[in-house]
Amino acid sequence: MEVYNVLVQYFPSFMVALVETLKLTVVSLLCATVLGVVFGLFKVSGIRLLTLIANIYIDIIRGTPLMIQTMIVYYGLSQTLRPLGFSWGPIGGSFTAGAVTLSLNAGAYMAEIIRGGIEAVDKGQMEAARSLGLPYGNSMRKVILPQAFRTMLPSIINQFIISLKDTSLISLIGIHELTQRGKILAANSASRVMAIWLAVALFYLVICTTLSKIALLVERNVSYGRK
Amino acid sequence: MEGSKEIKIQVKNLKKNFGRLEVLKKISIEITEGEVVCMIGPSGSGKSTFLRCLNRLESITAGEVIVDGHPISDPNVNINKVRENIGMVFQHFNLFPHLTVLQNITLAPVDLKLMDKPSANQKAMELLTRVGLADKEKAYPGQLSGGQKQRVAIARSLAMNPDIMLFDEPTSALDPEMVGEVLEVMKQLAADGMTMVVVTHEMGFAREVADRVVFMDEGYIIEENTPDEIFNRPKEVRTINFLNKVL
Repeated sequence: MEVYNVLVQYFPSFMVALVETLKLTVVSLLCATVLGVVFGLFKVSGIRLLTLIANIYIDIIRGTPLMIQTMIVYYGLSQTLRPLGFSWGPIGGSFTAGAVTLSLNAGAYMAEIIRGGIEAVDKGQMEAARSLGLPYGNSMRKVILPQAFRTMLPSIINQFIISLKDTSLISLIGIHELTQRGKILAANSASRVMAIWLAVALFYLVICTTLSKIALLVERNVSYGRK
Repeated sequence: MEGSKEIKIQVKNLKKNFGRLEVLKKISIEITEGEVVCMIGPSGSGKSTFLRCLNRLESITAGEVIVDGHPISDPNVNINKVRENIGMVFQHFNLFPHLTVLQNITLAPVDLKLMDKPSANQKAMELLTRVGLADKEKAYPGQLSGGQKQRVAIARSLAMNPDIMLFDEPTSALDPEMVGEVLEVMKQLAADGMTMVVVTHEMGFAREVADRVVFMDEGYIIEENTPDEIFNRPKEVRTINFLNKVL
């Protein structure tokens, strides 16, 4: 089995690349969750300006390819921000640019997930919290969001899977993650191209399948007060 | 009504529209301290909307609502402060399902820094004992029956030490055998002198506990009087028709 041989031979370097992939995914998803909560709350705020801002952000991200977003952040923003003292892309770190792109991208989808989660919480919950004298923000934090997060968890894990696979596309800007590793290996031993790419695919497959199984488990265990 | 008692709720010419639909059309009423007022009337008559205007869960289209001296129809009034003093019990309980019974009761007083955690817990246990659920502190709402849920909801409201309690059809979502236990807690509250406004279909409760019964229809108060007068000598045709249907 050629794939097996490739796996064994390059295991350490695959693992280094895998760690990079996971690092990029986790960092991006954490930032995306923050963005998602902010813009998700904008969407349910009932304040027209905030809803508009959230809609524009979400439409731009959903309406453009990730590849173009990467280009804009990596080359475009890097150039624009250089006079301000920031820089990344071809000059600074491509990891930063990749993380920014993926955060912005996943943030838009997270905003929709979080909006959906909040709207799925019964209206009476907010009314009960408010009638006790809790201000809107406290009601959101203590009553609505904890319930929303439980129902959203499977969708959040699903977004994690999507973003994990999207990191592959971002290898384009030279982050040394799994796909990039595959490219380098394939370039160096052309005769084993098939085995190398199958090995790379296997890494993604194992992680994504595990995650989606976890999502399923979580989905079955979202009810309260049962252990 | 004794003249010495303070007016707790004063409603003047209250109007409430949902879009072009006029739900409340000029409601005026005064409720004094310790009074138990039952609102009755057909569904869609505006009773629940009226109740929800008293703590501004519904915005007020026109008119004045003054609770404990605070003009809550004024957008500048700190509505959260006023609400701390007005408990509300809902038809569908609206307990927080992710929190235990004890946490449901202590959430607001602790979060609003009115009490520290130990004293809030102690108070919650007292309230649970009062509603007969002292053994349920660690249960989640999902593990309780409807009647138990509603009693916890009452305890949760009482934890804020309100002067006024609003009840929005508190027994309508309950199985018949559980109605009694909730009404019993409410009777106790009334006997302790709580000012209560109760939207209800429980005519027996209204007859027995209310100081005043208000009959509403199509967004107006049609008739209000003592339970004895309303149930035994109703004056308005619409009241008579309604009572003939429900009694």
